[in-house]
Amino acid sequence: MLIDEVIEFLGSVPPFQFLDGDALKSIAQNISMDFYPKGLVILKQNDPASEHLRIIKKGGVKVFMESESGEEIVIDYRGEGDTFGFLSLIGKDKVRASIMAVDDTICYLLDKEHAVKLMNTYPVFTEYFLKSHLTKYIDRTYSEMHNKSMFFGGSDRILFTSRVADIAIKDIVAVHEDATIQEAAHVMAYHKVSSLVIYDSNNFPVGIVTDRDLREKVVAKGRNVSDPVKNIMSLPLIRVDANDYCFEAVLKMIKHNIHHVLVVRDGILRGVITNHDLMLLQGTSPLSFAKDIENQHSLDGLAPLSDKLNRIIGLLLKEGAKASNITKIISELNDRLVKKVLEIAEKKYGAPPVPYCWIAYGSEGRKEQTFKTDQDNAIIYADPATPEQAEAAKRYFAEFSVFVRDGLVKCGFPPCEANFMASNPQWCQPLSVWKKYFLNWITMPNPEALLKSLILFDFRGLYGTLGLAAELREYLIRNLKDQNLFLAMMASVIMKNRPPLGFFKSFVVEKDGDHKDELNLKIRGIGPLVDIIRFFALESGVHETSSLERLQAMKETHPIVIELGEEIEQAFEFITLLRIHHQLDQMEKKEPLDNFINPSMLSNLEKKSLKESFQLILKIQDAITELYKAGMVAG
Amino acid sequence: MLALFRKPSEDVSSGSRIDLSLPIESAPYVVMDTELTGLQYRADSIVSIGAMKMTGSRIELNRTFYEVVRPRTELTSKSIVVHEITPSEAAMRPGIETILEGFLRFCEGAVIVGHFISLDLKFLSKEIKKAGFGQLKNPAVDTCMVHDWLLGQGNGFSSNYLGRMESKDLFSLARKFEVPVQGAHNALIDAYITAQIFQRFIVMLKKYGVRTLRDLLRIGKP
Repeated sequence: MLIDEVIEFLGSVPPFQFLDGDALKSIAQNISMDFYPKGLVILKQNDPASEHLRIIKKGGVKVFMESESGEEIVIDYRGEGDTFGFLSLIGKDKVRASIMAVDDTICYLLDKEHAVKLMNTYPVFTEYFLKSHLTKYIDRTYSEMHNKSMFFGGSDRILFTSRVADIAIKDIVAVHEDATIQEAAHVMAYHKVSSLVIYDSNNFPVGIVTDRDLREKVVAKGRNVSDPVKNIMSLPLIRVDANDYCFEAVLKMIKHNIHHVLVVRDGILRGVITNHDLMLLQGTSPLSFAKDIENQHSLDGLAPLSDKLNRIIGLLLKEGAKASNITKIISELNDRLVKKVLEIAEKKYGAPPVPYCWIAYGSEGRKEQTFKTDQDNAIIYADPATPEQAEAAKRYFAEFSVFVRDGLVKCGFPPCEANFMASNPQWCQPLSVWKKYFLNWITMPNPEALLKSLILFDFRGLYGTLGLAAELREYLIRNLKDQNLFLAMMASVIMKNRPPLGFFKSFVVEKDGDHKDELNLKIRGIGPLVDIIRFFALESGVHETSSLERLQAMKETHPIVIELGEEIEQAFEFITLLRIHHQLDQMEKKEPLDNFINPSMLSNLEKKSLKESFQLILKIQDAITELYKAGMVAG
Repeated sequence: MLALFRKPSEDVSSGSRIDLSLPIESAPYVVMDTELTGLQYRADSIVSIGAMKMTGSRIELNRTFYEVVRPRTELTSKSIVVHEITPSEAAMRPGIETILEGFLRFCEGAVIVGHFISLDLKFLSKEIKKAGFGQLKNPAVDTCMVHDWLLGQGNGFSSNYLGRMESKDLFSLARKFEVPVQGAHNALIDAYITAQIFQRFIVMLKKYGVRTLRDLLRIGKP
């Protein structure tokens, strides 16, 4: 009777649910059960291999590794129905990653002997684990363990994350087996393909002829071209399933020393994948994209690249990259695009009359862009020495900034609705005017000034004379010192955006409109976190603008960050990742992008993490309120 | 390997006992429960025995023992309601003496664990003696006593688990520690519930310095 409970549970979770009743029963008869309290490290990296495959019955675990530099890298969170210990079981040497219970956790344990037997008997079982776990490990290991930049190198990983069907489903060029070599070559030449499938009279594919066969078996050997083509075709047919990862196609090519593999779906031949296809696929990497940008010299050349950018982000996500890495890459690539547009503008308008710095702010300033990014930019130029120079600068940058704005629109950056752009004369000013702006906002904080500071104070220099931006940052930090009224007012503004309390009890979400019952992740989740972190950064005089870098800079100095920095970081990463995944989903469904998620679509673990993030935000908001009470009353 | 009970007929007692210096997280346990016709030592008897092995905190779901026997005394309607074993079912079963040896072998080398285990042991010892197997030598631990001890350990335990004084019966404890409970009492299911509670205790005990079986017996011996 205890066994029945196990069978029932296993029958509801993959990959066990793919097994038949007898197999389930024999597993259940060999299972034990253990309990791990929250915080317990169940498996430790580099310990001897685990003796059990563990299936989570209740609770959840974190899979993480320690890098060479001692940094903890979270690979995965697993919840009810998920398994762990598989790799160390088949790896036989040592535990690859540490596993810690993030909640009181109950696991079923299947001993090694029976787990291995299952793998040998049911290929579906092994396949499931390899697909769901191994690729994640390979990706993370490559990209992070050795601190290799995601940006340069590592395009191999795409092989693990793209399916054959993504690149190789296309029309098949084929001839009947009775055709002569010459006829076959003619068909290949006509269709400009390097391989040809040979069918028999029953319409079954029986072989393949490639350029190599023509070269090695016909030309080199002086064979008669009127021989039947079946005499030179290659056997047996090596095939991959359309759903296989491209990596498997590569494996087969290497193993059989061939360059063409047939693609089959549902038993039917659907295409041929070639080593050339795979090389092209690897071209879809951030690195090749960066090169693409470098090679452009006109707006018309740059514009089509922005579509490709979204594809790359999709691939990175599928590879399981960390949210902060993804936004970093997006920002880096966007920066390159912007710089290129500026270069093109400089070529068109000639050298500027005075040095200038192009700055970005908002999410671009924080390097936290996701898919859809409005323009948020401005120009700081050096203070002109004479009225004539001032006039020249004004004229030059007015034209220049409009050209850049339009160029960026062409490259897929929509204009800012609130007109926070360099093309707005208000945001295209000499350094001294910028200083005056900032000083006014700080010393005479009113709602409008506060709003502007929330947006502009995340500025960073992106192109040109970066010293101008650095000087403005110094000025800002200097003048923020002891401006308690400003800080208190800013605190009161950001306190107004409370995350939905009781979110999971009563589902306090959007009450009406198109997004009834949904939650705006950007406004209710990321927003408050960004605001809190910016607030701390301004309070502490930190130069950094990205939220995570700000946290890093304050982790030993700011009392709240000392205590909660790590949790804030995790919450930020988590919500950002949820948001990016959501947008990628929408992009793949060709829906317009937004930030609204339906809480009922989240997994238990996701709900739990989101809830904890909200609780954290509330906790910090309360702490800030406590500290700045007096100022808020004044505000 | 270890003789924990003595058969007068074939004295197999090797004198070896369970190594009490074993850490509690790797020691062998048998968690057990019996269903009875009632609670009177003289008037009542055992209806069923359920037990399962644990190695440390790991419950070995595949190593269980469950037998329903023909009770020596009559099944009362009161007890039938509790365990849902009817007189006709029980009547078809063998007497307890036939399964006792198997059960004792099952317990070999393990610490016996149960909730209010002294009651089960009392009835069990009576039968062992009657059957001529001498006496049960296994050390035993009462989860109820372990629970009481943990409650006495101050804030850590009681604040986590609202350790105000409440019912100490098995199902109440199960609810407290979020161990799922369903259906009627059955010796094996109850042993399973006890095992899951004990599983959690092992973890907590380590925090309070209970490391070896010796430590455990000091606080949990009935």
